[in-house]
Amino acid sequence: MTSAGRARAFIAAGLLPALLLFVFFVIIPIVWSAYYGFFDWKGIGQPKFIGMDNFAEVVRDPIFWRSFKNNMLIVVASVFGQVPIALILSLLLVRNSWLHRFIRSSVFMPMVLSSVVVGIIWGYIYHPQIGILNFLLDSVGLGSWKRLWLSDPDISMYSLMVPIIWNYIGPYLIMFLAALKNIPSDMDDAALLDGAQGARKLFSLTLPMIWDTIKVAVVLCISGSLKAFDLIYVMTGGGPAHSTELLASYMYNNTFAIYRFGYGSAVSTMIILLSLLLIAGSQYLMKKEYR
Amino acid sequence: MKLRKWQSGVANGLMTLYALVTLYPLFWLFVSAFKSNDEFYSRPFGLPTTWHWDSFKRAWTVSDMGTSMYNSVIVTAVSLVVMLAVGALAAYVLSRFQFRGKLLVMGVFLLGMLIPIHSTLVPLFIVMNKIHLLNTYGALIFPYAAFELPIAIFIIQAYMNTFPKEIEEAALIDGSGYWGIFRRMMLPLAAPAIATVSILAVLRFWNDFAFALVFISKPALKTLPLSLSMFATGYMTDYQLTMAALALAVIPTIIIYLIFQKSIMQGMVAGAVKG
Repeated sequence: MTSAGRARAFIAAGLLPALLLFVFFVIIPIVWSAYYGFFDWKGIGQPKFIGMDNFAEVVRDPIFWRSFKNNMLIVVASVFGQVPIALILSLLLVRNSWLHRFIRSSVFMPMVLSSVVVGIIWGYIYHPQIGILNFLLDSVGLGSWKRLWLSDPDISMYSLMVPIIWNYIGPYLIMFLAALKNIPSDMDDAALLDGAQGARKLFSLTLPMIWDTIKVAVVLCISGSLKAFDLIYVMTGGGPAHSTELLASYMYNNTFAIYRFGYGSAVSTMIILLSLLLIAGSQYLMKKEYR
Repeated sequence: MKLRKWQSGVANGLMTLYALVTLYPLFWLFVSAFKSNDEFYSRPFGLPTTWHWDSFKRAWTVSDMGTSMYNSVIVTAVSLVVMLAVGALAAYVLSRFQFRGKLLVMGVFLLGMLIPIHSTLVPLFIVMNKIHLLNTYGALIFPYAAFELPIAIFIIQAYMNTFPKEIEEAALIDGSGYWGIFRRMMLPLAAPAIATVSILAVLRFWNDFAFALVFISKPALKTLPLSLSMFATGYMTDYQLTMAALALAVIPTIIIYLIFQKSIMQGMVAGAVKG
């Protein structure tokens, strides 16, 4: 073999296993599910072609849109909860002292815990009879504030946001810390000479300098909101009365609980399309410059 | 920000409080695991009057944690080996060779990172059912490895891009083939990147719940998160036991976190930003 031929053979042999694994277990199922979305299929027996009926049903189902709205609520909670908290912490955690390292590690820690464990712990915190939240309210004399945190449909979604925010602040904090470190120190000095300090320096120097990172964080909030399935499944299963249903749990409940694989496939396809749209849209919005 | 002394004192105090609140649920979990059921709800904030070490032993047996631990170890380890073998090789090719279709290949992997993982549950279930992989270790190993591939490839490739071109040229002249260069040179040199990728992958595989929930229903094959969720539902009122089981389950991840904090933080951020 010539050396060019040997290189080509190696390239093929090197890429093939990765491509095969990836295409077979990630790409093909997605294409396949777009296809099954056009069928009425219970998982066994012959799938029956029904055209766009599944997709029409998805679009008409108010619960689907409620799930979508809940996903958006999580995005909002992340953008206005996780990002500001992480940003404030990153501005204050400037030193490499043991205290600051400890705070950083603690804030990041929930990221490595299994979401099943996190969900069960928070389920106990919110528990109406034995939960420590209601116990705490009672013992400080705020017994009237006690709620059925997870089983009252009016507030359950908001109760869920606390653990979601709590769980995912860490990566944003680390991102912001890295971005702040990259601001050249002579810009600090220049700001000092100009007499820009405190709030003015924050808004005219620091924030513009890390604006790109903030943009990335917002995009991550959007794609991250689609990953919240585990916590919700463990804590509420999407209930009560679908008040905490997310797109992913809606899909799960409509497929594996009642064996409607055609419908579930249509929902999956819709989720993929919606999330690609959201990501594209957020990228576009974020192109606008910070003034 | 430059702060005055009292300001930074206040800031440190508030942040420490915040960190303690963040850690509290975990602390509460470990303390509660030692309590009796009575104490669990009569004194939720207090320390146990007697420390019940036996809960752990009971939780281990009752929840059959040995089996699920074993399953989790096997699935995590095999997925990791498959993912690394395939991913490091692809990263080497993508980093060191120019060829037609390279952008296409990278585009395919990038596209995969944009797709929300849960939206593939139904389609994957259909595929697994077709090829009779449901209720086998393979039902978890292949998707785990496949979904972790893009991040692994991008992190290892970016690291390999920083190696100077000359090192391989010298090796080629010495008569080593590409496989030899990959095995004897690139793999050892890329060890730091491979380590980061491995730690992230281990955490991801170990903690995965959604795939296990959908693809595994045989009790003998349940992974740790899956069997915990079942256990918590079934023994919901035996708090002592549930808490002990949860505590046992998080100990390995906490140890990994304490040892590898720095690469976990950096790796998770790199993975998230790329995705």
